[in-house]
Amino acid sequence: MKKIEAIIQPHKLDEVRDALKNIGVDGLTISEVRGHGRQKGHKEVYRGMEYEVDLLPKIKIETVVPDARKDEVTHAISAAARSGKIGDGKIFVFDVAEAIRIRNDDTGELAL
Amino acid sequence: MRDVNAAAATGDNTGSSILQQALASLEQRTRSVDQTISDAAAHNLTPRLQFPFTVCAVGGYGRSELFPYSDIDLLILAENEEDLPAMKDPLSDFLRVVWDSGLHASQSVRTVVECCRLHEQNIELHVSLLDLRFVYGDAALFQKLSAALPAFYQKQENRLIRELADMAAKRHAKFNNTVYHLEPNIKEAPGGFRDIHLLHWLALLAQDKGRIREALEGIEGAKRFLTAVRCFLHNQSKRDNNLLGFELQDRLTAFWMDASAEPAEWMRLYYRNARQVYQAALHAMEFAETKDPSLARQFRDWRGRLSSSEFTVSHERVFLRNPASTLGSAQSVLGLFTFVARHGIPLSWDTQRRLMADAALPARFKNDPPRWPDWREFLSQPNVAMALRQMQETGLLAAAIPHWTTVECLVVRDFYHRYTVDEHSIVAVEVIDQLAGKAEAPLRFRTLLLEEEDRATLRLALLLHDVGKGVLPGDHVQGSLQAAVDVFERLSVPQANREVINFLILHHLDLSSVMTGRDLDDPATARLLSSQIPTQEDLRRLTLLTYADISAVNPTAMTPWRLEQLWRVYSAGLEQLTRELIANRIDSANDAAAQAAGESPEITKFLQGFPTRYLRTHTPAQVRRHFEMDQKRKRDGVAVSITHDSGAFLLTVLASDQAGLFAKLCGALASRGMNILKVEASSNDHGCILDLIRFSDPMRNLELNPDEVHRLEWTVECVLRDSLSVSDLIRQRRSQPRPSTGSKIMPSVHFNNEASDECTLIDFVGEDRPGLLYDLTSVISQAGCNIELVLVDTEAHKAIDVFYITQSGGKLDETLTDQLTEELKRVAMPV
Repeated sequence: MKKIEAIIQPHKLDEVRDALKNIGVDGLTISEVRGHGRQKGHKEVYRGMEYEVDLLPKIKIETVVPDARKDEVTHAISAAARSGKIGDGKIFVFDVAEAIRIRNDDTGELAL
Repeated sequence: MRDVNAAAATGDNTGSSILQQALASLEQRTRSVDQTISDAAAHNLTPRLQFPFTVCAVGGYGRSELFPYSDIDLLILAENEEDLPAMKDPLSDFLRVVWDSGLHASQSVRTVVECCRLHEQNIELHVSLLDLRFVYGDAALFQKLSAALPAFYQKQENRLIRELADMAAKRHAKFNNTVYHLEPNIKEAPGGFRDIHLLHWLALLAQDKGRIREALEGIEGAKRFLTAVRCFLHNQSKRDNNLLGFELQDRLTAFWMDASAEPAEWMRLYYRNARQVYQAALHAMEFAETKDPSLARQFRDWRGRLSSSEFTVSHERVFLRNPASTLGSAQSVLGLFTFVARHGIPLSWDTQRRLMADAALPARFKNDPPRWPDWREFLSQPNVAMALRQMQETGLLAAAIPHWTTVECLVVRDFYHRYTVDEHSIVAVEVIDQLAGKAEAPLRFRTLLLEEEDRATLRLALLLHDVGKGVLPGDHVQGSLQAAVDVFERLSVPQANREVINFLILHHLDLSSVMTGRDLDDPATARLLSSQIPTQEDLRRLTLLTYADISAVNPTAMTPWRLEQLWRVYSAGLEQLTRELIANRIDSANDAAAQAAGESPEITKFLQGFPTRYLRTHTPAQVRRHFEMDQKRKRDGVAVSITHDSGAFLLTVLASDQAGLFAKLCGALASRGMNILKVEASSNDHGCILDLIRFSDPMRNLELNPDEVHRLEWTVECVLRDSLSVSDLIRQRRSQPRPSTGSKIMPSVHFNNEASDECTLIDFVGEDRPGLLYDLTSVISQAGCNIELVLVDTEAHKAIDVFYITQSGGKLDETLTDQLTEELKRVAMPV
């Protein structure tokens, strides 16, 4: 099993969710996060006062899928989240040792 | 059993059968538990303990109010401390038997002496002993404690009463001090059982218990109602569950009312009862404050100096000096709430009781409501939410705004929302109150609010933005707009404010939608915003309303993530609107708005070339007035008018373009001691300059000497015709001391060559002072630059100026911007 974690632009959430739904991935965890990549932060001036804008709002999507579906899911996410501009985000893939459904103790891919 | 409304009408809020069942089950369970405890003690304690002991019930069990799945609290009483070690093993066996019988027991083991000694870190012990009841063991030992406790409580009365009130206040604060939770905890939340217990304990503790007893009797029906509900919750959940969640609300409604009834209808019944309990608890806490001899209390009493000829402030509560006079008109009652909103001091119980007892008062609000100036005064105060809550509790908010009844206690189920619709709206107003008053509020949004001159209109929009949820469920925006029409008439809201409120209601969901659904880096998003939001002022108000609306969803809804996103939306919109100031000019031939505003071809021609903002910020009547002044300009070269405008003065000047014109105007006003607050300067395609300058008159010269208005108009005309020299006028004026601000604002100057295709934008912020604008504009003019467009604003002692300037018809080069930056900073540097 693989855990896929994608950091995307907030306005791309609906498109990514639809893309995953279209390929049968319904189980998602979504969080509102803030961070920055290579651009680092910058300063903004408003009414003569400077504000450090170092953490930009992003959306984090997490899902765990069977190994065989890893490429399909990552492609779906990147296609839906891509605008071609800096800040489109990143996808990370992790190995998952075990999954357990708390309700009935199903384990492994059965629990996904 | 199910006809709860009929039961409520007869004073029995609960339906007698449900109530009887509930009360019977409490008594039955208490008896059953008594038997279990007695049996367990007889088998495990009596044979093994060779000294007197008693098993007592305390807390809810002591009151014989044992709900189906409530825990039980036990006090094991021994005579001597030396006996305690010997109790350990037998007690352990006793408790095991109790737990094995399915009871969740908490126990403490103490001597009589211990029980009568103050435990500062364990006030709960003394509170629980107020409900002490004998269950099993040595009756003489129990009598010994019962006889000793009254003297202890008498001695510690004030201390324990204060502690109880403090604990209640902290508990209320955890629930945001409101009963109006969508899924309330009927034990801990305001208006829940803990508040009933508070009254019960205070009645036991207080020597002068008349007021508390009166409050307790007043909530007898509500107590029975909540008892029945809590029994139902326990039985349905099969555990000690006190959270009235959506699913249980459905079940309760089906069980209690007709099958067709909506859960929201039943919840209104719940809120009515909880509200009674909460009010009684607040009354009791007000009583408890009188027991506080501390320095803090003395300070609060010092605020009694705030008392006026109409109201007395005592013990941090507002009392009426002359009730007949205050209650005689809706206007004077609104004055009372304005006092509350100004000072942040709530009404006393006595004042609330008088307001609620006056049956004619709602009719006075309905038939002869206060006018807008009174409402504006009320809604401009720093603690409006507190006053609105008290208006709501006394029924006067619904009397003033009848549509309010449609959202009162209205549950609209939503995963994120925590409060009923009415409470959400008042919390939103509270967010604005706190944004202005709390130093820890987000600085950027606080700055926005400080720039907002008309907070009354913003607060009224917040109060009305969700009224449509009760008026027109399914399309609440339209519902709120419909309701607003009636409210505007009742409150005699001026047309300009109506337009602002309608705009805010209509668009109150837009920024939230852009925050999550649009690419904020895409220029199309900024263009979308500027196409929907006419001016910077509208954007600022809409951002503040959105900030308050999101923050009022629940205490954690406004996350740093959303805060940042909302600010990005505001910044994108502001940048675009600022860019369009100079770029978007009225093209009369193609601009439908210009054709509509221009009542004649001549007026349409006059509009040609002004910024499109001009049409968005002026009414047709104002456009016509400017056109008429333009006719005079054509005849005389210049047209000047000064009018009184919302507490300040408005100088309107139409003149043919000339070098340094704006600097001359600023100088003329400064030479007469006037303080410029706001400026909009622009020109049309026919070389006509239109300058609108809002200024204050700190010396009240114009107000006290009306003829001086004409003299100032004459001075301005002469300056523009060069028959008077600004520098001479300035020299003749005695220099004025600067206002004391307590802190200096260092000037900041930012040049932007990207904001416009043709001009350079100067964004200036600095410490305001008389003549500052004259000095700034003189520097710009002396550098050979032309001021194409100006927006000037003042926030307290801070001047916020935006200039669009050109040199020889184009943008400024780097050398000139460097030179101007230095010069502008130099003249604006605070002394």
